[in-house]
Amino acid sequence: MIEAHHLSKVYDRGLYALRDLSLTVEHGEFVFLTGPSGAGKSTLLRLLLRQELASEGELVVDGEHLSDLTASQVQAYRRSIGFIFQDFKLIPRKTVLENVAFVPRVLSASATQQRRKTFQVLKWVGLQHRMNAYPVELSGGEQQRVAIARALVNDPMLVLADEPTGNLDPDLSLEIMNLLREINARGTTVLVATHDRELIRRVGRRAITLDHGQIVEVMDGDRGDGVVVRPVTAV
Amino acid sequence: MQVLRYCFEEATASFWRGRRSGAMSVMTSAAAIFVLGALLMLTENLERVIGGWESAAELVVYVSDEATGDERAAIERRISASAVARSHTLVSKSDALRRFRADFAELASVIDELDSNPLPASYEVRLQSDPGLGSAVDDFADTLRGAAGVADVRYDREWIARISMGVTALRALGALVVFALVVAAALTVANVVRLAGHTRRGELEIMRLVGAPLAYVRGPFVVEGMLQGGVGAAVALGMLWGAFALGEFYYGSMIATLLSATPATFLPVELYAILLAGGLAVGSVGGMVGARRTARAERTV
Repeated sequence: MIEAHHLSKVYDRGLYALRDLSLTVEHGEFVFLTGPSGAGKSTLLRLLLRQELASEGELVVDGEHLSDLTASQVQAYRRSIGFIFQDFKLIPRKTVLENVAFVPRVLSASATQQRRKTFQVLKWVGLQHRMNAYPVELSGGEQQRVAIARALVNDPMLVLADEPTGNLDPDLSLEIMNLLREINARGTTVLVATHDRELIRRVGRRAITLDHGQIVEVMDGDRGDGVVVRPVTAV
Repeated sequence: MQVLRYCFEEATASFWRGRRSGAMSVMTSAAAIFVLGALLMLTENLERVIGGWESAAELVVYVSDEATGDERAAIERRISASAVARSHTLVSKSDALRRFRADFAELASVIDELDSNPLPASYEVRLQSDPGLGSAVDDFADTLRGAAGVADVRYDREWIARISMGVTALRALGALVVFALVVAAALTVANVVRLAGHTRRGELEIMRLVGAPLAYVRGPFVVEGMLQGGVGAAVALGMLWGAFALGEFYYGSMIATLLSATPATFLPVELYAILLAGGLAVGSVGGMVGARRTARAERTV
């Protein structure tokens, strides 16, 4: 699904956010990206969202070379990706229903499809009873569940999450992770950037640790709860 | 259809949210359309009056008292043969005297004290109303002035042409003022739309990230600009109508006198529609500029 070959991202004054990074994420895999602040996790997600272009190297998602995409191809590519952010990025003046239905609506789905898909995902994240609430009336966990519903409403092949539990307490964090695991169980590839190593340990999935823009460790996790994560050396 | 509905809903919601700043762009659009409408109304009425003068324009050929019968016949033949003359009437010396007495009754006694009738006979020639005949009429008048038996030729069109030129100059000057106002209105709309874009930046970022088509991203900005321009044009037309009605009520008879006894008329329906369409167009252009500026500022659209 994702292939990065000798990927580098250099900002002004020669600051490397990513340096000669190579990794592969298979279809249907659940992978954590971890590391301290400034390690390059968010930069990699921005490259994957095609918000930025790599300075060197190649990034291929589902066979698409991201650096070769035209503006309209970028739009089409993004329609196949769901994204979840730490600050939820919900539209305050829209209700839960409108926030989620907004995506199929701007992607020109029919009104019936919009209603059906929106209701399905809201039911799936357990928020069908709060459809008419505004974001400000929801708890942090509920807001993140709305963001997850919005990411899923378009049936993405890949879900990217940048610190999705950064604003949540440990119980709510695990609840959100369980939702992401369920998404993954349905065949969607999930890539989660987090610095919460305890959460990674509890969820137990492959975790790639970055530091100063390079991979410093790859841990292969079992697919059960509470497993011990063991370090490996190869990507 | 769905995209239009989306753009309209988002634009009206944004217009309502930013109604205070929106009022500013509505008023600048209204000012531009009002000035344009007033100018059109003024020039329309002036041109109508000038047109009336032109169709009633006459060329008067005064015949010398010493002119022989042959010379008079030659003058009449020359008038009849001319392409610029629509018709002509002979006013004899006695007819001229009768008219003078009727028009200037208080001066009639002065004429009576004279031994003979001092007024000359004349031919009143009504001219074709085709404005393209201007130089041909000049040539015709010059030829008659040099003909035997002609004392003088009086030609109305010269001063009508001067007034027409004045109207053309007024129209050109007005066009410049309107152009400046239209640019100001479009820029105001663009800035107000950009301000609205700034408040919607979170939404725009999400749209960008989900790969929303450009029509969904920029469309609401264009429609919002169009609404501002359209409402501005409607306000301007309302104000124009109000100003016209007030003018008619208080100064109707004076205006009618100034306009040669014909009442002033309001803009024709076609111009009304054109002004409304103009307001919508100015607003749309402003909306497009606003969307582009927002794109540059937010890097999202």
